[in-house]
Amino acid sequence: MKMREPKKHYDVLVVGGGIAGQETALNLANLGYKVALVEKDYSIGGKMILLSKVFPTLDCAACITTPKVSETARHPNIDVFTYSEVEGIYKQEKGFRFTLRQKPRYVTEDCTGCQLCEQVCPVVVEDEYQYGLVGRKAIFIPHSIANPRIAAIDIEHCTFCGLCENVCPPKCIDFTQQERVDQVYATAVVLATGYKLFDPTIIRRYGYGKYKNVVTAMQMERQLVPTRPFNNILRPGDGKVPDNIAYVLCTGSRDVTVGNPICSQVCCMYSTKQAQLLMGALPMADVTLYYINIRAFGKGFCEFYQQARAMGVGYVKGKVGRIWEKGNGNLVLRYEDIETGEVAEAEHDLVVLSIGILPNKDYQKLFKNVKVDQDPYSYVKQIDELTSPARTSVDGVFVAGTASGPMDIPDTILSAGAASSETASYLCKVYKEIQPSLS
Amino acid sequence: MARTVDIIKKQRHATGAAKEKLKEYNRMKKAISTALKEGPMTIPQIADKIGEPPDKVLYYLMTMYKFNMVEVDSIDDMDEYYLYRLKQQKNKK
Repeated sequence: MKMREPKKHYDVLVVGGGIAGQETALNLANLGYKVALVEKDYSIGGKMILLSKVFPTLDCAACITTPKVSETARHPNIDVFTYSEVEGIYKQEKGFRFTLRQKPRYVTEDCTGCQLCEQVCPVVVEDEYQYGLVGRKAIFIPHSIANPRIAAIDIEHCTFCGLCENVCPPKCIDFTQQERVDQVYATAVVLATGYKLFDPTIIRRYGYGKYKNVVTAMQMERQLVPTRPFNNILRPGDGKVPDNIAYVLCTGSRDVTVGNPICSQVCCMYSTKQAQLLMGALPMADVTLYYINIRAFGKGFCEFYQQARAMGVGYVKGKVGRIWEKGNGNLVLRYEDIETGEVAEAEHDLVVLSIGILPNKDYQKLFKNVKVDQDPYSYVKQIDELTSPARTSVDGVFVAGTASGPMDIPDTILSAGAASSETASYLCKVYKEIQPSLS
Repeated sequence: MARTVDIIKKQRHATGAAKEKLKEYNRMKKAISTALKEGPMTIPQIADKIGEPPDKVLYYLMTMYKFNMVEVDSIDDMDEYYLYRLKQQKNKK
């Protein structure tokens, strides 16, 4: 099966298919520009498509993002390349040349997403889209609202038994699929490479990875979505329904000891959101947040925080120093109570680490003959943050969303709007220089 | 029509990791299914019965739940642990 053949030239290359990349691509495509949207994952939608609800409105994240995902995938001016990578971008006199590498998923676009292949596949591997809480098969649909809804074969974990090929109704399994590499041109580039989540195994005193009932907020987020990994919210150590849950805020944020001194901007509010959702899902549960400062700075955030307190969510101003496990799987938190100045201990049956946001430094390797400057925290540097927030140190390269720093979903969409209008303005200028008659 | 898997099999073999995952899933699936044939059980009860850590049992049991081999029976008197049963058990009743 042939992979999608890219055009020779696009007006814009958008690197990253999360919400910032999609919004930028859609805005530019609606203006008539041809856009190549390149996503390294199997599906577009980024991290937002995996969330349960958004704060402070508690709107369903999937309900907001899936129409945009579909619009992006079906837009006539956007060519979406999933499970693909951009390499070696060279700045030229007018525009950029880059290598587009489309990797094989060993399943053709005829896949109907029926999942019969998943039923017969005999190999179980940790499901990365459920953050390791449950298994998936070696052939799998990434997640229930993936776009494109096409299966992929994890070739490193395939035993080549051929059962998937035997049962596939449209005969779309193709083990002969090869990588496709093209040289493509674009007039402008938008970096929408997003962020990475902090790896809490670095803070060993919190016991993540060692104690099974210490989970990350992203793992809890997956437990709160309708397509959750378990039949209900359960603690991963033994399947108990938790009734006394602790959140440890600022895990990996505002912490020079782990190399991330800045605030991640979203943890206070997503933890408050999860606490409210947990109280709805588990009415008998106690939820306590251990925080340094609550940063409820956005529109409606403070009211959202007050609503959580009114619902009975406990807020303890205290920095957690250490966590250890008891014989029954419960966890003891040793923390400094900032209000009293005393060191105290508290027992919980599930601990959620509110992990922070880190820069995705992948953009630093993309360019060959120019360098996109980074800010002191390794995010893409906005060279004129106050008057032209999407501009980078390279003319024709713009930045959208969390590639430039931590931000929440509405700010990401705003940032993508700024990036698309600045890119459109740049394209107008460049095309007028090439063909003055256009003006 | 020839299967494409027969072509790739001439070029590469399954990795050790793939074989290991296959073996482990089959072993756990068999152990959990055998235990549940005696009736609905909680995760700690299955873990006790088959001599495996409860977190590992949860991982594989929930994978079986995802692929429709297991279903929820009820919750215990303390509302703490769900009891699970094999899907076929319900059909046989």
